[in-house]
Formats: sequence, structure tokens, C-alpha cells
Amino acid sequence: MLATLQGIAKSYGDTRANKDVDLAIDRGEIVGLVGANGAGKSTLMRVLCGVTEPDAGAMTFDDAAIDFSGFSPQSARERGIRIVWQELSLSPNLTVAENFYVEQPQFARTTPFWLANYRRLASEAIDRIFPGAHIPTDRLLADMTIVQRQMVEIARAACDPALKLLILDEPTSSLGAERSQQLRSFVRDIAAAGISVIYISHKLSEVLSVSDRVIAMRNGAIAWEKSAADACVDDLVNAMGGAGAGHGRIPSHEAVGAAAQGPVRVTISGSWLSGGCADPVELRAGEIVGLAGLEGSGQKELLQALFGTRRSDGLERQETVRYVSGDRQVEGVFPLWAVQDNVLIGRVAGWAGWRSVRTAAHMSDIEEAAGRLALDHERLHSNILDLSGGNQQKAIVARALLDDAGIILLDDPTRGVDIAAKRDFYRVVREMAEGGRLVIWLSTEDLEFLECDRVLVLSDGRIAAQLSGEAISEEAIVTTSFAGQEAASGTGTARDRSRVLSALLKAIPFISLVLVFGAMSYQNPLVASSFGLQLLLTPAVTLVLVALAQMFIVGGSEIDLGVGFFCGLVNVVSATVLVTSPGLGLGVLAALVAAYALMGLVIQARAIPAIVVTLGASFIWAGLGQTIQPSPGGSSPDWLRAIFSIKVPGIPTPLLIVALAGMAAFAIDRSPTGTILRAFGSNALALRRAGWSQNRYAMLRYTIACGFAMTAGLYVTASNGASDINAGSSYTLLAIAAVVIGGCQLLGGVIAPLGVVAGAITLALIGALLASIGVSTDYNAAVQGALLIFILALQALAGWRNARG
Amino acid sequence: MAERLWTAMQQQRWIWAALGVLMLWIALTALTARFSLHSLSGVAVSASFLLMPALGQMLVITTGRGNIDLSIPSVVTFSAYVTVVTAGSGPHGLWLPLGLVALASVGVGLFNAFLLLVLRIPAMIATLATGYVLATATLLVNARVGIFQRPPLLTYLATGRVGDLPVMLLIAFLVAILVGWLVSRAAYGKHLSAIGQNIVAARYAGVPVARSIAIAFTTSSLLAGFTGMLLAGYAGGAFLEMGTPYLLQSVGAVVLGGTLIAGGSASVLGTFFGAFLLVLVVTTMQIAGMPAGTQDILQGLIIICVLSVAGGRIRHRAT
Repeated sequence: MLATLQGIAKSYGDTRANKDVDLAIDRGEIVGLVGANGAGKSTLMRVLCGVTEPDAGAMTFDDAAIDFSGFSPQSARERGIRIVWQELSLSPNLTVAENFYVEQPQFARTTPFWLANYRRLASEAIDRIFPGAHIPTDRLLADMTIVQRQMVEIARAACDPALKLLILDEPTSSLGAERSQQLRSFVRDIAAAGISVIYISHKLSEVLSVSDRVIAMRNGAIAWEKSAADACVDDLVNAMGGAGAGHGRIPSHEAVGAAAQGPVRVTISGSWLSGGCADPVELRAGEIVGLAGLEGSGQKELLQALFGTRRSDGLERQETVRYVSGDRQVEGVFPLWAVQDNVLIGRVAGWAGWRSVRTAAHMSDIEEAAGRLALDHERLHSNILDLSGGNQQKAIVARALLDDAGIILLDDPTRGVDIAAKRDFYRVVREMAEGGRLVIWLSTEDLEFLECDRVLVLSDGRIAAQLSGEAISEEAIVTTSFAGQEAASGTGTARDRSRVLSALLKAIPFISLVLVFGAMSYQNPLVASSFGLQLLLTPAVTLVLVALAQMFIVGGSEIDLGVGFFCGLVNVVSATVLVTSPGLGLGVLAALVAAYALMGLVIQARAIPAIVVTLGASFIWAGLGQTIQPSPGGSSPDWLRAIFSIKVPGIPTPLLIVALAGMAAFAIDRSPTGTILRAFGSNALALRRAGWSQNRYAMLRYTIACGFAMTAGLYVTASNGASDINAGSSYTLLAIAAVVIGGCQLLGGVIAPLGVVAGAITLALIGALLASIGVSTDYNAAVQGALLIFILALQALAGWRNARG
Repeated sequence: MAERLWTAMQQQRWIWAALGVLMLWIALTALTARFSLHSLSGVAVSASFLLMPALGQMLVITTGRGNIDLSIPSVVTFSAYVTVVTAGSGPHGLWLPLGLVALASVGVGLFNAFLLLVLRIPAMIATLATGYVLATATLLVNARVGIFQRPPLLTYLATGRVGDLPVMLLIAFLVAILVGWLVSRAAYGKHLSAIGQNIVAARYAGVPVARSIAIAFTTSSLLAGFTGMLLAGYAGGAFLEMGTPYLLQSVGAVVLGGTLIAGGSASVLGTFFGAFLLVLVVTTMQIAGMPAGTQDILQGLIIICVLSVAGGRIRHRAT
């Protein structure tokens, strides 16, 4: 046996996710694991790979007993357990090669060219599983299709040479038939080489075709298990939760006839139609209309467009709409509210703000809506998160039932819902249509289209075919879905345009630096001399350093509002305590670094917005500075002045310091550590699951920022020979502006050290430029604020804000 | 029983701030002879000035996703200056500054909302930048300051008394009751809470997301504007740093009051006690003769500590 689990139990509150589960996996065995969502598969897998600690139970792996309390994702990986998560866990802001590093850090070497290894590893691993995929390893994941991402995800986990157990959780949800076939033959190959595989999928025939043994889970326990050779799909369906799931309903002819009579509710025409259907598509009251097609063929876009406006390009709808999403956590539930309030919002949402709301007065309506979905009245007062996924979904559907809306839009509403709830749900959908509503139903499960009166098959963002009545069948949908694919060519134009704008935005700091510097040299040729540079750049050095500090914080999608005062505090400490008693002074500075790291830890561990903590901290820094030195004064230690006046012949010192700081920041960003910091900026959950400690990296991030901010404070002391706690206060906004101009994204994950350096120098020069052309310093703040808004507006135009995920 | 009390205190988070006020008050009364009912009314007036912008901040924070209004101090200062420059001493001398302040505040609020909703600039950056632009405007107005002709009505509102109660306290009460009704009884409160908990779900549920957020930001600016105006009436003038304390303290009052910093759950009662608590703390520090630097340090520490204990995460059950 490679792995055994015995008596595993895990509860979340009242819900027993796993109860007394025994599981044994042989070496080289492929185990298929099926079960409705909420059956406990995911919890069991999380236990197996060290993410979740069970309440009870024992585990052995590779003939060694596992102590759960010390069993982290990290130690699971070291033992050779790898998992491909259902929800993709790649970092979109990293390249393919960098993503491989996140999952397989053991190959990193301490050279500046450490990434080259990973490029090779990535392309070999992908080609081994998916021959002919040709995925460029230097592209950002954000620029790739969902299919490519899923292939990267699988290859990334499977390329571990020490692999012993590979867990695949819904690995083929986005893959086409050919890639899915390639994956299955790869799985059989590695199993033949002695690696065990757990294969989880809702695609039951796929599970049967690849596995040696199939296990079905139900209500947190193993319900059934059999050799795959002796099992058939119907067995699995029965084992998972009862009969009837696979059998479609044939729409009664009366219903179809009545539907055709109903008034037109939605007209689709224009660019939504492909050459195949010339006439506008009219959807009528009383109909259930399915939206089918391969994932990402425009179904979601059509549904969103229908929800968005009454009349847009090629779309026209008559009645009010309701939207039911199957992505409950992200698009459905209000986690602070009880079930009843989660339902009632459907009615109250449309009310004028001043109307008084009394939940009790609507209770009977809420109960009626819940009753139609067989949702227990007792549960209405519970918090929505205490319900199972299926019941949460019922509450969200009940929200749409509360008041009569003419059109109901369903966005894959049965995702991850158990079979019993699905049946309740199908009945309600039929009732809605019979009640004279138009139901438009996007599904990712082709079987569900048998419940529809009509199915629109989309391909490449257009309606490629219509099926109605008895013409609806799985085969017909699959055939028509793929039919349009060959004709589909790249839809790259929109993306190309935003890429051009993106490139422009990245060039902005450098272009504006050249422009501002050119303008100043034109006005006064002395500016370009070595002495002029010395004079001009001296104030810029501080800003560059503070901006680099801010940049690392922004990289973690946070903002440090205290960095300016912190710089001032370091200035004060180094000009007073450090002069009079160097030992104590160094101690204080070390304590400040520790305080910064602690601040990072508090922000991370307690999930408090950084902005409030750093705002509070800014008062602490200012207060400390004021206490140490109530009025400006002090002097610089000689050795400090000596450090900051290093000379290389021909280069003015400030320029040298700026260049060194920029290179340091660049090196940190491109190092393995910087890669992980960037990754945490966009997909922290995935990083945690890959075994990286978020707390440690939060502390590291703040320590790095502190290093730059502290250098800034020391530089102020050295160059001014005096200190003032308020000296740094204006740098907070300026640093944010420099970071933004430099081409970083405030959402985190994308930072640009060289751009920030250029942006900071530009900002510092703008002040001097304004002064030299006689603009009052009163306007400085306004100019800087306006510039910040302007650049951010440009970024919004380039679609940067949506680049996440 | 103890367990139920504990649950109640976790759900009704305003109780903590109320307890804090009570304890600090008892301590102050017991320990210092100087702290009398008279100084309590001083605390009440200061707290009233803080309560108004804090309620606005609370609405903005409740819209979630780290939204915060950093332009409050600039709006307060700017409005105070506008009042000082445009007010007349006659019986109708208040109307011009009132109109201008209302106009400017609504403008600032809408501009913030525009930056956030249309240009999708994070609220903290947007309001910070707005604040800086406004700071320049204040400097320009500052250049024109003459003698402040204080309108009698403004003087009465800011410094007058009804019986023993300061009029300012009554104004703050009235605003709090109005906001409280809006947040906990009216549809707008539901909209705001839904947006703060899950903005995508709120949009799909049909909540007018953009409008609700714009209203929150506009209300925040408007309350800050009126605060600045009344503050000018109270102090008899305006100065450049006038609004500065309201940056940290407005956030502090909201946080101490138990409004969730992650959004989705506002507590007017909590903000009320939070404002009182914060002002009491500041007063205590002043009575104790602490230097200004130490006062800043303690205020910062209190807010960070309270937040660290409360945590910022909306409860999510692991599945």
C-alpha cells in the first residue's frame, strides 16, 4: 500500500464533511473518486495533501505513519503528494515558467539565471503530457486561454520527479476531447511506472475509462466501491445519491405549443447571429431556452448583456429580469445575513432607498418561495453559510421567485448541487415557465438541456444553431458546438489594442522623464551638467527610495499611508540618538525594522486593511518623532555622510545612489523571493495551498519596504545634516503617485522597479520645473493629485483593473 | 447565561464601545477632581463634531472592499474657509456659505464616486488625490481670508445651548438618528449592507450598486462639509490644520464602534459610542498632561489594537 487513511473525520460546525472514512491506495493504482458536491471528496483530498487537519483518524504514507499536527502542504509535497486543484491555482501575473517555480521550488539555484531551468522544465513537462500544445513559457498566464491554463496546471503538478501520488480534481473541466484523451493516457503511463493517481471527475464515463477502481462518496462517507471493469455509469449515479439524474425529460408538446404563443420577451439580432441564422431570434414568455456551447463561447457574455441593459447592440428585452448565478460564494450569497434576508433582498433591491423594510412583514412570501423549492422553513433564520451548498443555491433561486419578473436568467445554477436539489430545481424551472416567464438557462452540463424547450448553441460569441423540441439531444448539442469552431479565428484585435495601450503606459515614466528633463535643460543648459544633476537629483533620491518602499507594499495590493512619516522618524532618530549614542541609535533602528515586520504580520494574520493600520502607524511614527525631537535640529553622524557621498568618477553621487537603489529593487523583484511576493499579490490562496507561508512573506514584504524607507530617512539625515519629523510627510502621496506612474497596478501583483525610479525622478523634477517657470508652490499638491488621477484613468482605459484573475 | 451574554456582545459590537465610555468616565470622575459635569459637556461637544464625519466615514466603509474616505479632513478645512470668507454677520449671512458648502461637498462626493465607479480608481487613492486638489483650493481661499463675520445663527448652532444641552449635541443626535434609521430600517441600509458583503451578488440581485455607493460618498462629504462649517462657527475662524484630526479619528470612531472594517455591517450606535470613547481618551490624555506626540502614539496604538482584536475578515465557512 502506498497510502492508507483510517477513520478520518472532519466537521465544520454542524456539518460533518467526513465521517470515519477508510481509504487505501496501492502503488501504481488509479482510483476514480466520484460523488455529488458536498459529499466530502474535496475535504478528504485536503486532508491527504496536508491542507486540512482532520478531527480524528490516522494516515500512513509510503509505510510511514503521518502525524497530522505536523503535516503541512509543504511536508505532503516533500513526500511526493501533488494535487491539481479543481479551481485553478495558477498566478495570472506570473509567466508559465515562474508558475512552475511556485509549485516546484526545489530546482531553484542561486544564480541570476535561475529561471532558465524552469523554462526548460515547463516546456518539457507540458509536451510530455500534451504533445503539440506548444505553450510559450515566457507568457503571462493572464494572457492565456482557460484550456492552456488547465494544461499548465496539470503539467506543473505532474512534473515532480519525486512524485508518488498525484491527485487530479476535475482535471478535464475545460479540456476538449483530444486533450482529455492525452491526459488519460499520460495517467495510465505514470501508473504503469508505479505512481498512484486519484482521479476525481463528474464526467463519469471518463472516470470509468481511466480508473482501476472506482469509489463513490456520499454524505461524507464512502458509499460504494468497485473495480472499474465491473461498473457502469448507472451504478455510479445510483451510488452517488440516487436514481434519475441521467434520465432526461421529454418536453410535453402542449407546453411547447403554448410557449410559441407567448408574447416576445427578448429579441436577439445583429452581431449575436452567425451567418447561419439570418432572422432575429425571438424568445417568448413561457419558454425555457438553453444556452449551450463549448466553455467560453459567449454564453456568459450573452447572459450578462441581457441582464445589463434593456436594449443594446443586437439585443432587446421587454420585461424586468432576475439573475441566478451558480457561483454562489462569489456571485450569490451575502455571508453576514440569515437565509430570510438573503431571499428578501430580491424584493428590496429595487426599492427606493427611503422605503422602510420590515422583514417580518414579508415572512409569508419568503416562506412560500422557499416552500416551492422544498427549502425547510426552520432554516430561514440560520445564517446562510450554515446551509449546504444545495440549500444555499435554493435560497438564491428563492430570491428570484419572490416577485414576478418577466425573465429569469440562470447562470449554471446547479453547479455543485446534489441530485435531489437538482430535481427540485428542474421542477421549479418548469413551473416558472408555465407561470408565463421566459427562462434563459446557461448550463455546462449538456444533459440539462433536455429540460429546455429550445436550445441556442453559441460558438465564438455568436448563435451558431437553434435546436428545439425533440431535436434537442446531447449529440446534437455537441456536434453543433464544435461545428463553428473550425471557422473561428483569433479574436485578438481588442486584446491587441489594450496591449498597445499597456505598453504605452509602461513607457510613460521614461517618456515623461525625458520630456521633463529636456524642458529643464532647454530652459537652463546648466541642468545637464554634472553639477546641475547633483543639485537636481539630491531631493529626488529620497522620493525614489520611499517610492520603491511603497512599490513593494503595493505589490501585495496594499498601501502604506505611514511611509512618509516613517522616513521622517528614521531621519529624526539618525540625526539625534544615533549621533549621541550610536549603540542605542542602532538598537532603535533595529526595533523599527521589527515594528514594520510586525505591522505586516498583524495586517496579514488579522486580515485588517493595511490602509487603516498604516494610517494608525503614521500617527505612531509622527508621535515618536515629535517626542524624540520636538523641533527640527540635530546633525548627521560623520560615517553616515561618508557612506552617502561615495564617488565614482564621472557619475554624480545622487545618480549613483538612484541607480543602485533601482538595481537592488529590480534584483529583489526578479529573484525567487520576489517571484513569490508577486504571486502572493494576486492569488494568495493558491500560494498557501502550495505550501508558502503567507505570514512569513507578509513580514518579508514589509521588511523589504522598511529597508528602502529607512535608507531614505538615513539619506535625508546625511544630505541635510539635520532632521524634522515632518520632512517626510509629503512623500506619502508622492510615493503612491510615483508607483502608479511607474506602471504598477494598485490591485497588486504587477510591479515595475525601473518605471518607479523614473516616475519618482519625474515627479521630483516637476516640482522644480513648476518653480522655475514661476508657478506658486500652492499648486504643487493639486498638480500631483491631478497627475495621479490622470494616469490611473489611463490605466482604467487600458483595462488594467480587469486584468486580475 | 454567560454564554448568551458573550454571543450578544459579539453580535452587538457597539456594547464594547459603550462599556469603554462608561469605564473611562467612571475612572475619570473617581481619579480627578477636575473632571466634572462641565467638562463632560465639553467632551459631548467635541464628540458631536467628530460624530458627523464619522457617520459619513461609516457609510463609506460599509460599502466594503477597503473603501475609505480620506478626503474628509480636506473637506472639513475647505468648508471652514469657505464659511469664513463668504459669511455675513446679518440674519441671512449663513445662507450663502451654507449653499456654497453644500454645493462643494456634493461636488467632492460625486467626484470621488466618479473616480471610483467610472475610472475604477481604488477609493483610498481617489479620495487621497481629491484631498490634495482640495488642499490647493484651500490655500487659494486662505489668501483671501478677511475678518470673519460670524452669522448669529451659526454661532447659536455651534455654541448655543438648549437648557443644559449644547445645540451641537442635538444636531449630532438628529443626524445620528436619521442615519441610523436609514442604515437599519430603510431599503438603503439593505442595499449598502448587500454591497459591502458581496458587490457582485448585490449587482445580480438587482441592487442599484453605483447609485448606493455614490450616495454614501456624497453623504460623507456633505457631513464633513457641515462639520467644517459648524467648526468655523465654534472656533470663530479657520486654520489650515483644522480638519487633520478627523482623518484618523473618523476611522477610529467607526472601528471602535464595531462597524466591520471589511464592510457590510454598519452600527450607528457603535459609531456614536466610538466617537465619545475616542474623544474621552483624548481628553484624558490632555488632562493627564501628555505631550501631543504621546497622544498621537496612543491614538494610533488603540486603533491598531482594536482592529487586531476584532479582525477584518467577514466570516467564511470553509467547505
